Amino acid sequence: MRIGAYRLSVERAEAPSPPRVALGALLAVALALLLASVLFWTPESGPWTAYRIAFGYAFANPSGLGATVHRAVYLLLCTLAFLIPLRGGLWNIGLPGQVYAGALAAFAVPFWAGARELGSGTAGGVALLSMPLAAALAGASLGALVGLLRAKLAVNEILVTMMLNSVMFWLVSDFIKEGGAFMSATAEGESFTLPEAFRPPLPLGLPPSAFLGLAAAVVVDFVFSRAAAGYRVRTFGLNPQAARYAGIDPVRVSLWVFVLGGAFSGLAGYHYFAAVPGLYKIPTNYGYYGDLSFYGIICALIARGSAVGAVPMALLFAGLSVGGRFAQGALRLPFGVDYAILGLLMTTFVFSHLVDRYRVVWRRTAPAPTSAPPRPEGAR
Amino acid sequence: MTPELEHRTPPPVLAARGISKSFPGVRALDRVDLEVAEGEVHAVLGQNGAGKTTLMNILFGLIHPDEGEVYLRGRRVRFRSPHDALASGIGMVHQTRRLVPAHTVLENLVLGHPRARGLLDLRRARQELEALCARYGVHVDLGARVWQLSEGEKQWVEILKALYAGVRILILDEPTSALTPPEVQALLRALRALVDQDGVTVVLVTHKLPVVRAVARTVTVLRAGRVAARLSVSDTTDHELVQHMVGQEVTLPTVQAPDHRGPVVLEVEDLSAYNDKGVLSLRGVSLTVHEGEIVGVAGVTGNGQEELAQVLAGLRPAVSGRVRLLGRDVTHLPTLDRWRLGLGYVPAERTEVASVAALSLVENTGLNYHFDPEFCPRGMLDRARLERLTRQILATFRVKAPHPYVRAQHLSGGNLQKLVLGRVLSRQPRLLVAHLPTQGLDVEAASFVRAQLLEAKARGAAVLLISEDLDEIFAVSDRVGALYEGRFVALVPRNEADPETVGAWMAGSLGRRA
Repeated sequence: MRIGAYRLSVERAEAPSPPRVALGALLAVALALLLASVLFWTPESGPWTAYRIAFGYAFANPSGLGATVHRAVYLLLCTLAFLIPLRGGLWNIGLPGQVYAGALAAFAVPFWAGARELGSGTAGGVALLSMPLAAALAGASLGALVGLLRAKLAVNEILVTMMLNSVMFWLVSDFIKEGGAFMSATAEGESFTLPEAFRPPLPLGLPPSAFLGLAAAVVVDFVFSRAAAGYRVRTFGLNPQAARYAGIDPVRVSLWVFVLGGAFSGLAGYHYFAAVPGLYKIPTNYGYYGDLSFYGIICALIARGSAVGAVPMALLFAGLSVGGRFAQGALRLPFGVDYAILGLLMTTFVFSHLVDRYRVVWRRTAPAPTSAPPRPEGAR
Repeated sequence: MTPELEHRTPPPVLAARGISKSFPGVRALDRVDLEVAEGEVHAVLGQNGAGKTTLMNILFGLIHPDEGEVYLRGRRVRFRSPHDALASGIGMVHQTRRLVPAHTVLENLVLGHPRARGLLDLRRARQELEALCARYGVHVDLGARVWQLSEGEKQWVEILKALYAGVRILILDEPTSALTPPEVQALLRALRALVDQDGVTVVLVTHKLPVVRAVARTVTVLRAGRVAARLSVSDTTDHELVQHMVGQEVTLPTVQAPDHRGPVVLEVEDLSAYNDKGVLSLRGVSLTVHEGEIVGVAGVTGNGQEELAQVLAGLRPAVSGRVRLLGRDVTHLPTLDRWRLGLGYVPAERTEVASVAALSLVENTGLNYHFDPEFCPRGMLDRARLERLTRQILATFRVKAPHPYVRAQHLSGGNLQKLVLGRVLSRQPRLLVAHLPTQGLDVEAASFVRAQLLEAKARGAAVLLISEDLDEIFAVSDRVGALYEGRFVALVPRNEADPETVGAWMAGSLGRRA
């Protein structure tokens, strides 16, 4: 576009500053809510009422806030599970499978302790500790398989993780449905309920996995910015050839990022099914929670690889999914508005990233050349 | 002095007016004018970092100028992207390759072609391309995968791609830097044919005077982002051009390294290795390099030099044979352990292999230090220390960079090469393997790099210099040899051979066997 001697143009920009990124994120949220307000328009109430109910429940109502925080921790753990391999240039799409593996492993501990038959069982600190440990180990093993296949045989990690998701989904089904080892006494297609003794303590109303997730986010960011190990992973992710030149072992990097990623997914499975008050079992609709884990991918991408930056993202997504579902019931809104908001949010965030890559510039334009060029500077 | 320029009446086919462009911390171009007449080879001459590539990227629509305009046949044009430039008949062959490595040559050539929408008629394309190759005397296997090609072949694929798309103005950015002397001659012949027979206009970016002399009619000399001169090639002398390029009388550093040959550092015995195509391209090579000695290995690209360097660095497995570093068998030792033992490796591909474009220069220094306990106490990177070292390298090696935290992608090729060499030498390696260390460097930078090799030698390093530049090999080496088809034709003390003999060895003509 041309205005007088000036021209207005859109150009590619350098990396945006942190305040600009934060402002972009806020604008993206506002835009998503504005767009979603159409969905909340009913003859009885406008979008304002709906948002008041949704946000009120998600962030101000004691039971709603609890659900939001538990879900946010789950999303944060899934975010870490995706983010660590991503920094190494690898895509962990196996979050649901690793979550299921973690859940099964966690329930295996009370199962072996005889909790299913007795309905109670006795558990000491060892049993309580071994549940998250088993979950992390199970997720890590599943991740290790992916990492090894990737590093040793160059098998695409996306395909392997997707297939493992399916395998693990049906494995859980086999364990909790009729005749399965973890089947509940009522045979309603869900697992046995965790006896009191196997439920972790809730300091400040939160399971230990919540504190672990927050601490892990800080540690992960620190390791990536300061530690030599994090540097090696980043280098490998940005330029595998240069990493090999520098003596960084591709097998070790691929293996470790997937082991760690898998471990965090496994912990996420433990957190949601065995540590969050009110559930304490693998429910019939475990697939819903598996799908929810994919929001970890969105959080990691929106936070641009920063684990701490993903914390507010996880809270927002958790709050909107919990509050949206509540408002949907309270206002008899059409089914699926909660997912619609999440979808819109993703779209606006992606759009804000796109906008960040460009900038608007004013330029002065120069006169056109004549047929006889001016005498060259170097000519004598 | 430049009568042709003044008498020319038609408007220039391609012109740039008052182009300025700044990058974070650098003013790459400052009110630059450029005019290229139809059907000529116009050279753009300048040292590393003079702004040549930036100017070409602007003409090609890859980046946008902060100020100034581009004119095509007298009409102002504003390319939003290279796509627009191509549509206007302007093609560019970059210094770094922009091909899909996993695709065949044919597939790469067809990709992005205006006709290649929907269904691909590969048979027709193959016929047309074969005709095109025959016309310019190019030999490229259209069925080969691009990752299997040598640098020279890849460059031809890019030139063919531009010609196949029907460009009328061809911009070539340092086209000879990756080529061997015979390949350079073939390229220059083809360029002359392009201009004389087909009336294509060529803008040739280079810092090599012989190349300018051989093909260009007019030349624009850039210095530090400004036009230093615009001249007719036939009316100027090399000395004058160099003065415009450098801005002062050139003083090249000279280092006289004393000859103190110490004990053996590198011992290679009957070494063989496969190349990427799975062909045995290193076939029973043996050599020794002593402390305080430079062994220069000449050879035309693709005769096993790259494989030799990579096997020595632990980046390619040896099929048979043995490598001993300081008396220790390292044949199967991982790269990292070799670095720790005192290996220093400067690979030919400085942008792809020796640096990470998206990381800062400080973090790039980490590539050579992330395993060093002094720089990583308790597993934590000591950033302050890395920064100090980086600043030191930037100063010692006269690398033009605004600050040590600029991303490596913002450095020009020559500056990046100096930085890589500086990083490797800062480790004071016992064995330095330098593969094409002055490729693409201007006169001043190249002689500086050579001086650094001599200094490393004086410090007692064993240096294996793999190069295609015979003058360079003879300037610094104590012993010279040539690889041909994966074997040494000969390896003799420098005073027992001359460039002509080694040139013959490179071409496979038998000399004496070492």
